[in-house]
Amino acid sequence: MATPAADAPDRAPAITEPGVLGRAARTTAFWMFLSLLVLVGAFGTLSTNHVFFNLSNFFTMALNASELVLLAVGMSFLLGAGQLDLSVGSNLTLASVLAARTITALAGTPDQVAAGDYPNLLPAIAAGVVVALVSGGFFGLVNGLLITRLKLTSFLVTLAMTGIGLGTTLVITHGANVPYLPRALQSGFAVNKVGGLVPLPVILSLVIVVVLWFVLARTRFGIHTLAIGSAPAAASRAGIDTDRHVVQLFVLMGLLAGVAAIIDISRFATTNIGGHQTDNLQAIAAAVIGGTSLFGGVASVAGAIVGTLIPVVLGTGLVILRIDSFYQLIVVGVIIIVAVYVDQRNRRRGV
Amino acid sequence: MSLSIHRGEVTAIVGDNGAGKSTFLKVLSGEHMPDAGELYFGGTPITLRSTHDAQEQGVETVYQDLALAPDLSVSDNVFLGREIASNGIAGRFGAIDRLAMREATQGVLADLGIRLKSYAAPTRSLSGGERQAVAVARAMKWARHAVLMDEPTAALGARQREMVYAAIRSAARRDLAVLLISHDLPQVLELADAIIVMRHGRNVARMAPGEVTVRDIIDAMLGEKGPR
Repeated sequence: MATPAADAPDRAPAITEPGVLGRAARTTAFWMFLSLLVLVGAFGTLSTNHVFFNLSNFFTMALNASELVLLAVGMSFLLGAGQLDLSVGSNLTLASVLAARTITALAGTPDQVAAGDYPNLLPAIAAGVVVALVSGGFFGLVNGLLITRLKLTSFLVTLAMTGIGLGTTLVITHGANVPYLPRALQSGFAVNKVGGLVPLPVILSLVIVVVLWFVLARTRFGIHTLAIGSAPAAASRAGIDTDRHVVQLFVLMGLLAGVAAIIDISRFATTNIGGHQTDNLQAIAAAVIGGTSLFGGVASVAGAIVGTLIPVVLGTGLVILRIDSFYQLIVVGVIIIVAVYVDQRNRRRGV
Repeated sequence: MSLSIHRGEVTAIVGDNGAGKSTFLKVLSGEHMPDAGELYFGGTPITLRSTHDAQEQGVETVYQDLALAPDLSVSDNVFLGREIASNGIAGRFGAIDRLAMREATQGVLADLGIRLKSYAAPTRSLSGGERQAVAVARAMKWARHAVLMDEPTAALGARQREMVYAAIRSAARRDLAVLLISHDLPQVLELADAIIVMRHGRNVARMAPGEVTVRDIIDAMLGEKGPR
């Protein structure tokens, strides 16, 4: 984990706690961050007129990462606690469909909405946001309760919930995306750039991610999360209500999926029912690339950000260099294997 | 079986495998609910529904399988479930004061005569003896009345055992009641103030270490009648 200076001080001189850099250098996140910088440098240097270095290109990439980074950070918490959520994409899709339906139903009469006229625009959008968050959080709550009450593995429960969520979405929509969403979602939020540069969703995601970084690295909730993933018996013997904590983590993941759903319908002014079926694997990949362990006990929010950006930078860079962007999939696959190998080797060496 | 343990004393439970030592200890630590029987604490009857209940009573346990989270730092482990909140608003949102925790941890371990290279490193990077010392230190830090130990030295080398035995002595000196399960009979003779022998789930003898030999204890454990 990239740890800032506040963590470093050590008053007893004889004991040698490694410094900030020393500790950072042992983390996967740090090396992946360097790799990211190398990638950015390479694409910038190789691109015609260095267009890759263009600031607006950076913020476009950030916008492209703004949804996935939320899922990746939530996934890092879950993996850190020894859990897994395969249903994030389904959750996101269902939340976005319910939110979109709410907005189009409340914004005006069906004729008005079809004509692009939204007399009740703001209350409708507010209701849509609430619906997305409630839907996402509830979906996560169901995951968490099934896992802790029925004592089933998160892999199995969330695999089943992936189908249940997608099925519900398709039943509601008959498989068609929700049309006539107000363009104001785009102009007012998704492509609304602060200072003409930074899109609002990027700022929203960044704020959430910073808060969650603090929660994981600096709070009781964060310690308990990793303790549960590291040694569940030790955690409960220390008086931690592990079931309750796991449920909270799944609700957190669900809320993040809800926020991602809002960003999703705002960016495209439509739902994207078919577009999120691999979100779960992308989020897991991003978390793992960033040094979060699949075996629990170790998680990094900073790493999840880097792990989200690497595929985005690769994809964008290859397009700018006019190289087949499908290579991105291959490279990301290789990176995942390297990241997991390094993680396992470090663990073995540590014991 | 019935027994009482007292502050400032090390009471050792010995017995053959399967005699019920660990099960008995788990009842005292709140991990198992007893089917029958009564538990008194300072003269008042109590019911323990969880290890948390026992901890509230000031009773801490050191487990056979180290109950540490290997990925957490030494100080995070010592304070797990009882973290020091940081000052101000952040503390109210669950923020913790790692520096204070680290310093307190260093102090507790120093009291046991133990110095670690790092208190911020994950406990998986420590030696087995150091890890058990951390587990003992945690119990000592939080116990107000009693420390229960189930084979605290089982996985350790000679020097590391000595480290833990020193910790046990210092716990008794601090007026804690120490209940120790051990197979190391010579060590038990040297360390304990009272020895309880268990066989088939019952205590069959209570011995004073000054008056018996290892042979006597083994006879009682195996059920040979009377002294030789």
